[in-house]
Amino acid sequence: MRPAFPVRLGIAEETLIAQLKAAGADQIAERVTVAGLPTRRVEAYHYTDLKTLLRTIPPLAQPANEATGTALRVAGAYTLSIVNGVVQNAATAPEGVIVGKTHGGVLTHRDDTLVGISNGLTKEALSLDLKGAIGQVIQIDHRIEGEAAHVADATKIFVADDSSVVILETFSGSDAAHVGNHASYIALGKNAVVTHVTVDLGSRSTSHFATNEYHLGDGAQLRTLVVHAGSGLARTHLFPRMEGAGAHADVTGLNLVAEGQHSDITMETTHAVPHTSSQPLFKSITRGRSKAVVQGKLIVARDAQKTDAKFMHQGLMLSDDAEILSKPELEIYADDVVCGHGSTCGKLDDDSLFYLLSRGIPKAEAETMLVRGFIAELIDPIEDEALNEALQGIVDGWLLGDH
Amino acid sequence: MTDTAAKTPVLEIRNLHARIEEREILKGVNLVIPQGEVHAIMGRNGSGKSTLSYVLAGKEDYEITEGEILLNGESILEMEPAERAAAGIFLAFQYPIEIPGVATMTFLKAAINAQRKARGEGELSTPDFMRAVKEAGAQLNVDSAMLKRPLNVGFSGGEKKRAEIMQMALLKPSLAVLDETDSGLDIDALQVVSKGVNALRDGKRSMLVITHYQRLLNHIVPDVVHVFSDGRIVESGDKDLALQLEAKGYADYDGQAA
Ligand SMILES: Nc1ncnc2c1ncn2[C@@H]1O[C@H](COP(=O)(O)OP(=O)(O)O)[C@@H](O)[C@H]1O
Ligand SMILES: [Mg+2]
Repeated sequence: MRPAFPVRLGIAEETLIAQLKAAGADQIAERVTVAGLPTRRVEAYHYTDLKTLLRTIPPLAQPANEATGTALRVAGAYTLSIVNGVVQNAATAPEGVIVGKTHGGVLTHRDDTLVGISNGLTKEALSLDLKGAIGQVIQIDHRIEGEAAHVADATKIFVADDSSVVILETFSGSDAAHVGNHASYIALGKNAVVTHVTVDLGSRSTSHFATNEYHLGDGAQLRTLVVHAGSGLARTHLFPRMEGAGAHADVTGLNLVAEGQHSDITMETTHAVPHTSSQPLFKSITRGRSKAVVQGKLIVARDAQKTDAKFMHQGLMLSDDAEILSKPELEIYADDVVCGHGSTCGKLDDDSLFYLLSRGIPKAEAETMLVRGFIAELIDPIEDEALNEALQGIVDGWLLGDH
Repeated sequence: MTDTAAKTPVLEIRNLHARIEEREILKGVNLVIPQGEVHAIMGRNGSGKSTLSYVLAGKEDYEITEGEILLNGESILEMEPAERAAAGIFLAFQYPIEIPGVATMTFLKAAINAQRKARGEGELSTPDFMRAVKEAGAQLNVDSAMLKRPLNVGFSGGEKKRAEIMQMALLKPSLAVLDETDSGLDIDALQVVSKGVNALRDGKRSMLVITHYQRLLNHIVPDVVHVFSDGRIVESGDKDLALQLEAKGYADYDGQAA
């Protein structure tokens, strides 16, 4: 769609266009030139207007000389790193894991500027071929080190039929005005069982963007958990596609926002064939003047009968100044389906709090218990004990104001 | 303990007035419960019994406009609910709250240890805690399946009440306030709960048993019965007063209270 008058481009857009052109990504460079960064008029960016929020784009990242450790250590995990977009050499992989690299971007082309930028700027992607029951958590640690940098990195993961794995992707780095554009592509074979957890622990000056694309074959079971707990601006765009009968996805996410932060989880789940189900469940907890956004779109294809999908977003406001925004959307072309959506928003329940207080539990501890209780539905299903504890630790740290 | 200390009542309420949202609910309650005694409060629905229990436990919603509450001779009006609990007050709720996501065992441990800490005692070790829970659970038919669920979530009415008394057994308060602990219980459950409560009558612990049926008082036999009407105590007597009330109803007191 070409507007009648070209939009006025800001410094961020000029820089971005130059970077895209230098990388030979002419098509997306042209798109940004004509349309600029997505504004609130683009549905998927309605509450996260990038033209307003992204004032500058730092230079493209140089390979890092030094690297700090991971921001989230999970005992027993097999860790791979991508630092400033460069896939690092790794230790010997566990059985069933083949680690490699592919060139270029990993995302399916679609009408989305950040997807285009990711594909245009990603030079190399970490690839994983996974087979069998993999007991060790596989952690992919993305870091942006040094001076403020613009980084596009990616992972492409194939999980073979009847295989199972837990994948953790962590995002962190130095305290600078980085812009990270991260892509994950995960294909689940027949009856594959995958847990995919992504945790943003970037600095407050960082802008974190992630696009996660999932393809589920017959009987595949996906649990995905997005946690935004760091960057000043964080947005994860989820695209699960249910492509085989019996496929099921628990698509979950948690926005933890404090003073000055803006976090957005936007999901578009496609039920492409009959007999698939999904349970998108998102929660947002806000403190200070902050903004949390969850948008959830369920698309049911014409012959995708017997689709069962329910979107839910629950907000918990720990301050009066925060905004929690919720937008469910149903796009249903089949007639024999059960689809729904719901949103709730509130403060900690006074009666619950009083019950805990009346048993002698001090106020701060009682509030922490209730907040933990609020998100238990998201954390409890993560069965790996070390990962579960690490995630709980992030929430507890956030409650204490650590990040 | 000196003689004077022994005579200090566990609970003394003097001319207590409390309101919620501009509406006066408690209109001058006077009540003294000496150590070790079990007092019953009977009154019809809406007379303010639960309000009294919440005000004792320190719920914020109420404004105390007049009067005093002394626990072991010390005013508790300025104390937070958690401090009151640590000081020995326990309220068995008429409607125990369901709290999804909070594991019952986590809650019990937090409550016991918070109270111990407030009293300057060390934390209970995990084996000691497990033993205490098992013991209290066995007495009140609270099985391990219930303990594995989130706090009160999916508990039947009777299970909730048994769980409340189990908490009381674990927290060992000096003053237990039982608000309509009999409501929603069938006769078997009533017996289990009463047995649990009676096991906690040790000559030192005081109790305030709130009910609007005499039935409970056949099982938990009170030392003193008070009739509550329109926000205050209008008559007191021994356990036979409960039987008279059961026969005659509350009608006699209606005019009197106004
Ligand atoms: N939150 C509240 N706001 C206003 N009125 C209340 C509230 N809670 C209780 N009341 C009123 O206070 C009176 C006493 O209620 P309550 O203490 O629950 O009585 P009881 O326990 O004896 O049945 C009732 O008339 C009730 O409607
Ligand atoms: Mg009541």
